[in-house]
Amino acid sequence: MSMGKKVEDNYIKFNFDVSAYRLLGRELITDRITALFEIVKNSYDANSDKVSVQFISVSPKSNSSKIIIKDDGLGMKLDDLKNRWMVIGTSSKRRERTSPSPYNRKVVGKKGIGRFAVDLLGSRLVLKTKQKNTDKWICLETNWSTYSDLENKQLELPFDEKKEFFTDIKNKYWFEDGDENKQGTILEIDIVNDEWTEYDVGRAYKELSKLVSPNAKTTKYPFKIKISSQYDSYKDAWVKPIPIIDYATKAISLSFDKQKELQEVIVHEKGSLVIKTVPKRQFGLVEFTLFYFDKTTKRKFKGEFNIDIDGIKIYRDGIITTPFAEHEANQNKQKDILGIDKRRYSGFFDKINSRDLMGYLEITDNENPNIIETTNRQDFIDNSDYNELKLFIIEQIEQIEKSLKYETENIRETTKSDLGNANSGLKAIKKNLSEIKRGASPAVKKQLRGVEANLGKLQGTFNKSIKDFAKLEQESKQKESLFFSLVSLQTYAAMFSHMTKHTIGHVIRDAEYFSEHFPNERLNDRFKTISGRIFSEFITLRDGVDFMLKYAQSDDEIEDINLFELLDNLFKNIYSPIFRKEGIETQLDIVGSLILRYNKKALEDIFDNLISNSIKALKSQKNKKIKCSGIVSNDELTLYFSDNGYGILEEDKYRIFDIFFTRTAEDGGAGIGLYMVKTRIEAMNGSIEVVKNEFEPTGATFKITLPFQK
Amino acid sequence: MMEIKIVVIDDDQRMQEDTLIWSLKDRFGDENISFFLTPNEGLDYIGNNLENNMIVLLDINFPQNQIDGHEILAEISNMSKLIPVILWSAVDENKESFSDFINNQAFGFISKTATSREATSHIDKAVLYLENSLDNVLEDWIIQNDADKDAPIYLTSDDKSYSLNDILREIRLQTAIGKEFSKKFNDLTIDLLLRNKENLNG
Repeated sequence: MSMGKKVEDNYIKFNFDVSAYRLLGRELITDRITALFEIVKNSYDANSDKVSVQFISVSPKSNSSKIIIKDDGLGMKLDDLKNRWMVIGTSSKRRERTSPSPYNRKVVGKKGIGRFAVDLLGSRLVLKTKQKNTDKWICLETNWSTYSDLENKQLELPFDEKKEFFTDIKNKYWFEDGDENKQGTILEIDIVNDEWTEYDVGRAYKELSKLVSPNAKTTKYPFKIKISSQYDSYKDAWVKPIPIIDYATKAISLSFDKQKELQEVIVHEKGSLVIKTVPKRQFGLVEFTLFYFDKTTKRKFKGEFNIDIDGIKIYRDGIITTPFAEHEANQNKQKDILGIDKRRYSGFFDKINSRDLMGYLEITDNENPNIIETTNRQDFIDNSDYNELKLFIIEQIEQIEKSLKYETENIRETTKSDLGNANSGLKAIKKNLSEIKRGASPAVKKQLRGVEANLGKLQGTFNKSIKDFAKLEQESKQKESLFFSLVSLQTYAAMFSHMTKHTIGHVIRDAEYFSEHFPNERLNDRFKTISGRIFSEFITLRDGVDFMLKYAQSDDEIEDINLFELLDNLFKNIYSPIFRKEGIETQLDIVGSLILRYNKKALEDIFDNLISNSIKALKSQKNKKIKCSGIVSNDELTLYFSDNGYGILEEDKYRIFDIFFTRTAEDGGAGIGLYMVKTRIEAMNGSIEVVKNEFEPTGATFKITLPFQK
Repeated sequence: MMEIKIVVIDDDQRMQEDTLIWSLKDRFGDENISFFLTPNEGLDYIGNNLENNMIVLLDINFPQNQIDGHEILAEISNMSKLIPVILWSAVDENKESFSDFINNQAFGFISKTATSREATSHIDKAVLYLENSLDNVLEDWIIQNDADKDAPIYLTSDDKSYSLNDILREIRLQTAIGKEFSKKFNDLTIDLLLRNKENLNG
């Protein structure tokens, strides 16, 4: 260092070594399909009309293997090459969100990471680029193997030894003559890293086909991709969207009316999906194409295209948005960005998932400015617009689910009535036959006997199928109710562990107190409390376990039940001795009659619990009363169940149905009864709530609503 | 020993007779244990007793129509930062969100399955915390010294005067002037130490 210089002149710079660069590249681009994807996106951003990807002798890998990516985009000036391409981390795309006029494309390669991508495909790159109205191609050679050698050397060199940095390596450039009218960029990659089999090229094709929305309205400046290779299927293949619509079980296409600010949505109405319009939602207007596949169509589709049905993707201005732009071969690892599959864990069994769906949601920068990709490109920024958009997608899927459910039920009903009709047809034929037989000649009679015998057999088979069908139907209903109980079992399990924690806590501290202080005359009262509490806590625990066991054993027998007979039986027979003993006056007041097809035990459980609750609540009252009144309307039963017991505290109104909530612990209440009532009623699609008490001044009234189909 | 009030807010009435509560009553005195079944009653009590030393045992889950432990803690934290609040719950720790508890400086967490001994160790820490807090050191000093506790010793710029007892109350109530006092006390102590005017071992 020269001592003559001024102090301010002493600077040192940061340097960047090769391994850091390569590390960065590997973080950003993880596989070669993604690499290709990124390079093609750059061509799109450069206003190319077409880009071709050529694979030359890539299988088996040899010295002559090459990948050439060639576009007819705007190309670069020497300055661009020096100041943009060669500077890591700069991206003009960060500043300009649209490509130059007149194309004005929304740029998709936002991070300027194309050059990292090349490194992943092969070790040597010759980049040729030319703008219109120039007569020279600018050519640049980058040999990544020089960098790798340097990287290896750096690992061996001691730190204090002088070494070359990433930025010290020189890359040669030169000029070649060219046609003034031509423009574009060509990336010639050789020393290709991996072999590309037909399967690999096929994968590249299919992934690239997702880049542009198959559904986008023909834009003024379409973008085309061609793949050439040694394989017959991809000799000169223009990448085309897959004609999903020909294969899907259901196809839905939603649009909007910009002028009136109306958004189309689907609504399920008695088996068909109808398109309706609603006012523009918060996130703006969108187009949405949605395909649903059932088992058969899924198999057909996979057989034809050998690609997975992989859910819903979002396209912005016709090009895929980055959260969906990364390739992930393993479907189990694909991210459920829109939360479609999460729903399946949260409850229902007839939900469809992203493997049954394909879709394109089209947003635009103008219409949906608040749907913004996060900087790590893995999701969208979590704001209310995006949440609304996710909700919108889920809502459409739910309508499909509703129509599917309707169809299954409808098919079941139709089959049943068809079977019934066919059976009476057979009977009629038999009757006709015996009439013909009566007037027929002996020879014909003999033949007819044979026909009759066959007909009899046929009828037998038929009757058996009808029975089988009924059995099957019942079994599937049982399965449904099993699912229902599993769902509430999940809630139950959560509550149960909560309750167990409380119980364990009490008992553990009681035992601890006892072992630390016993014997002690002065504390006798406390010891007594402790032993009583340990007893009652274990009773709660036992009841909880019993209830869980009950779930395991619940019988799924479905039958026709006359609800009022059932109530009558409970009030006048089963409970009458207790009512008499306790001095409780009862009143059963129901208008109309109602036959429900359901599990009898489940129904009885509901009223068992309500009655025994009331008995407890009436314990120390005078003039005890229990009243049950009901009204049957067209499609709904409303029941009021009242007593004039001590009533429900205002503050308990909301938690009275919570499991293990009880105010009657000393009477053996474990807090399970009303919970069971509520889950049972909800399993029947009904509801129960505490309403203003019918009897003054004290008491409780429950209102139960049960919908039914006549 | 200084007087400490234990405030328990828990909607489970069975907890009132828990052995842990007994042990606390034996230790701090029956009259110093207050049990509240609803958040609002508990918060009212705390608001009216800011001049006392308090430790709060707070349940997290409350019925749907009431505020829950998260909100209760935030409200206590708003009233005073001097009160150690120990959460006391049977929640599933894996599901519970704890960030706002940390932001509002919850003092500790006791599971409802804890033994009294485990629970007491948290209470001990809270007691120690209270004993070493500025307001209590000040109170001890007032009790032990003969100086006139009600004579004005501090004048603010707007001509208000404060006695030692006033200062103590303002700190406990966490008023603006109380917070200012606390800060000035600390600044002064550091200043004295640095200028060798005071010796902490003295």
